[in-house]
Amino acid sequence: MASFSARAFSGLKHVVSAALIASGAAVLVFGPRAGEEAPKNCVVVDYWEKWTGEEEAAMRQIVDDFNSTVGRDKHIFVRYLSTSSIEQKTLVAAAAGVPPDVAGLYNQDIPQFGAMNSLEPLEDMAAERGITADKYKKVFWDEGHYDGHLYGLVSTAYDLALYYNKTIFSEGASALRTRGLDPERAPGTIAELDEYAQALDRIDPSGRIILAGYIPAEPGWYINYTCIWFGGSWWNDREHKFTFTDPGVLRAYHWINGYSKRLGPEAVAEFRSGFGAIDTPTNPFLAPTVAMVQHGTFFARFIHHLKPSMDGQWAAAPFPSYDPKLRDVTYCNCDMLVIPRGSKHRQEAFEFIAFVNRQDEMEKLANLHCKISPLAKVSEGFLDHHNNPYIRVFDTLAASPNAHPTEPVPILPEVNDELNDFTDRLALQQVTPEKGLQDVQQRLQQKYDQFIEDQHQRKMMER
Amino acid sequence: MSSNTPNHASTLQAASGAVRRGNRKGRGGRLFAHTMLVAIGIAALLPFVWMLSTSLKTLQATTAYPPTFWPSPIQWHNYADVFRQEKANFLLWTRNTLVIEVLGVTGTTLSSAIVAYGFARLRFRGRNALFVLMLSTMMLPFPVTMVSLFSLFRWLGDHTGIAWLGTFKPLWVPAWFGSAFNIFLLRQFFMTIPTELSESARIDGCSEFGIFWRIILPLARPALAVVALFAFLAIWNDFLGPLVYLQRPEQFTLVLGLQNFQSKAGGTSWHLLMAASVLVILPAIMLFFVAQKTFIEGIATTGIKQ
Amino acid sequence: MARWHSETRAVLRGLAFLSPWLVGFFAFTLVPIALSLYYSFCDYSLLQPPLYKGLTNYHLLVHDNVFWKVLRNTAIYALMALPLGMLAALGVAMLLNVKIRGLAFYRTVIFLPSLVPTAASAMLWLWLFNAKLGLINVGLRAIGVTNPPGWLTDVRWSMPALVLMSFWGIGNTVIIYLAGLQDVPRELYEAASIDGASTVRKIWHVTLPSISPVIFFNLIMGIIGTLQVFATPYIMTGGGPARSTYFYTMYLYDNAFSYLKMGYASAMAWVQLLIVLVLTALAAWSSKKWVHYSGN
Repeated sequence: MASFSARAFSGLKHVVSAALIASGAAVLVFGPRAGEEAPKNCVVVDYWEKWTGEEEAAMRQIVDDFNSTVGRDKHIFVRYLSTSSIEQKTLVAAAAGVPPDVAGLYNQDIPQFGAMNSLEPLEDMAAERGITADKYKKVFWDEGHYDGHLYGLVSTAYDLALYYNKTIFSEGASALRTRGLDPERAPGTIAELDEYAQALDRIDPSGRIILAGYIPAEPGWYINYTCIWFGGSWWNDREHKFTFTDPGVLRAYHWINGYSKRLGPEAVAEFRSGFGAIDTPTNPFLAPTVAMVQHGTFFARFIHHLKPSMDGQWAAAPFPSYDPKLRDVTYCNCDMLVIPRGSKHRQEAFEFIAFVNRQDEMEKLANLHCKISPLAKVSEGFLDHHNNPYIRVFDTLAASPNAHPTEPVPILPEVNDELNDFTDRLALQQVTPEKGLQDVQQRLQQKYDQFIEDQHQRKMMER
Repeated sequence: MSSNTPNHASTLQAASGAVRRGNRKGRGGRLFAHTMLVAIGIAALLPFVWMLSTSLKTLQATTAYPPTFWPSPIQWHNYADVFRQEKANFLLWTRNTLVIEVLGVTGTTLSSAIVAYGFARLRFRGRNALFVLMLSTMMLPFPVTMVSLFSLFRWLGDHTGIAWLGTFKPLWVPAWFGSAFNIFLLRQFFMTIPTELSESARIDGCSEFGIFWRIILPLARPALAVVALFAFLAIWNDFLGPLVYLQRPEQFTLVLGLQNFQSKAGGTSWHLLMAASVLVILPAIMLFFVAQKTFIEGIATTGIKQ
Repeated sequence: MARWHSETRAVLRGLAFLSPWLVGFFAFTLVPIALSLYYSFCDYSLLQPPLYKGLTNYHLLVHDNVFWKVLRNTAIYALMALPLGMLAALGVAMLLNVKIRGLAFYRTVIFLPSLVPTAASAMLWLWLFNAKLGLINVGLRAIGVTNPPGWLTDVRWSMPALVLMSFWGIGNTVIIYLAGLQDVPRELYEAASIDGASTVRKIWHVTLPSISPVIFFNLIMGIIGTLQVFATPYIMTGGGPARSTYFYTMYLYDNAFSYLKMGYASAMAWVQLLIVLVLTALAAWSSKKWVHYSGN
């Protein structure tokens, strides 16, 4: 008996090892290899992008458009590769000497990459094709520049506005009216926003938050730029100085902290632990567990996709400012196409980038991504048939003089890390806004000065 | 600890008494051990079961509250979806990993055997000093050389025309130069082979390398199997290495691809993530099933006597 | 004359066999270490040539509060995970050493988790620690805990979560201890029984001293390992929340490959090396007091 089961066991072992070896060999010999799909006698342009899912599918359409038209004529084949941590991978790949030909970065990467000499300047190639400043909304043309060079052109762009839930507004109409607020429109100032939020908050007797009118932590993606709605800024580009202790910045963080303090840090933490990611039905705006959020143009796509029953139940308006005289303030962000230094096919890469920036392709991509067009000229058809019913609000905001770009700071990853850490600790009431901002100011200014000093010394060495 | 050795007779007498007493205590002790081990065993297996269970659910079932243990209906197609998902390139990553495995495991085993032979079967001035030096390199944290290796590989690429970064070379070429841990393991084993075998071969006029190749190596097959096994798992498992040296998505290894897959999926498609994790773990488990004895003995010998 | 000749031949032969390691040691260890030391005195981003700056990096390091934070985090993790892990592994090994049926089965089950690649187990435990849907909190709520911790999203529980998770993979260490335990000569136990020793005293006076070399080995390996912890927190938390799971190697990696400050990262690497050396030396020196090598 025992020897039979032992033999069966050993037999099974042999079967399993044979299966392992056979499948391993099969994958080795017949498995897919890198770089298979490109057609012969074409210049292959490697394009690394961050997008997945629908956004990836949308960009792939543009890539296919290129490959079947300009690409076919000029023997260029663009190969789309999706990867996470795109900025880091591109930077290290450039450092390794094996970068992609085109990389889809975020606009905030441009200063760092530019300062580190890791991108090819594009101004000459752009000028050759008549791609000039007047073709774009000012913010987006500026965001592609650093230190006098053009390093990137937009692929998709968006800006921020206030999304609010009309149903919750009408449900809380009486509460709003008693405070003298109008349930048929969005708040017009920060003070009003706070009033609306408090009126709509639903908190149970034990302090647990059931619904929040507004909470800065959700989504919290742009929290580092809250100061622009308070008339402040933490970077002075003319003098190349950080200004974290600017009164507008302080006011902004006091305002953010106000929500933590009013609702209670424990309650907020518990409330936030139930938040779902943007692309799930448990997204707080969709659940709904918040009545108002600050989000980008693309958010409409998620609403429509994940909760079609909410269509028509929400609206978008400019996010209010602290000072009623400061109107149409927004933060503009975009994805940029760049050519990393060391790319072997600069001209062909730029062909593709220029193609994406054609008005028809740009609007096609923007519509699929549910974003705005960064171009100065926008077709009526684009605005009329856009997937975001409030596209005109976003479009007008992006062209406004108070449309704010990302600060062109070359040590932006470190700034973000510091600010994120500060925001976390602020939420935990571990530090006051004044002290925290002072620390951040001192540390970052020192890092920046060091950085500039090093760059300066390098330039001296090269002479 | 001082060793008082009692004389034999009293030992036997006391021993039999101890055995009698031990039987009663033994049963209680065994029951205790059984209970604890069952509890520990459940704790060890539960995550696996949960992983499997999640991998066979639908997306809605994963976010359902309260969660259910058994998925119904069972979504076997999740595994197929992992291969198809956004060109997740699972097969590509597997192939990449296997290429590095074949080159790396062969390199480690062969080179470690040659070096271990030098340390174990030959006598020469400076041998022990070099051995201690080699052992000390085991303490070197990878981050110390990580950055300069990166720049070294870049320099090699620029100045010799052979590219290192952007290829798999940084991950398998160093294996061909011996690995301290494996050299240590094989040296232990080689030292247990009687010297007479080498002596008689030398008298017969065999070259040293011949002795190594034709006599020692065949005898060392169990130890070589252990080394190959450990090397295979180390490469399969390696995360920081591929993270640093592989930038191109089409070159990712399986674990790197898994992490890439996770950060792209945004941590929401848990059913697919768990299915992908199961796929990554499966070969290691199957390997263990096939080579259990080798595994256990190999690990046991690593701890004995430094 | 002849002796010198044959001795030289022996050395040459020895070096020939050692040559793969010697070349590798030079190319992949010695040169990089030397380069790393040089880079630690420079500002270096790989995209531009290194810029010599003397001791600036080390000076900045001392004043970098993130450096101290990650050092503290790594120390706390090591102090929690290492002793507790070794204790648990030893305990489990002692349980397995009892003569019970199904030993091989239990051993297999306990060993299985250590086969799991770090990336996969990180993902699995990320799911298990999910504050709302994870098995752990579901279980806690089922036994009546009304407000289970947020684990990886809570600053107070993120580190304990990682320590807890490290227990899942002790199977490797258990096997090593088990082998050591099985090597303890039975006469020693019998002698202790005769002297009337209880189980606890037997463990203290017989077991522990006999396996002290194994404990020492695991301690050294444990020190080297826990000081380098990277993949698990990198994948699970990215260092948060509020840098509560930000470890030394992660900050080193970020400096090197996120900020491209390779000089600064090299300085960090050298500090790490020194710490490992000091701790290993301490352990080795203390081992004279408690490690007993039996003369076999």
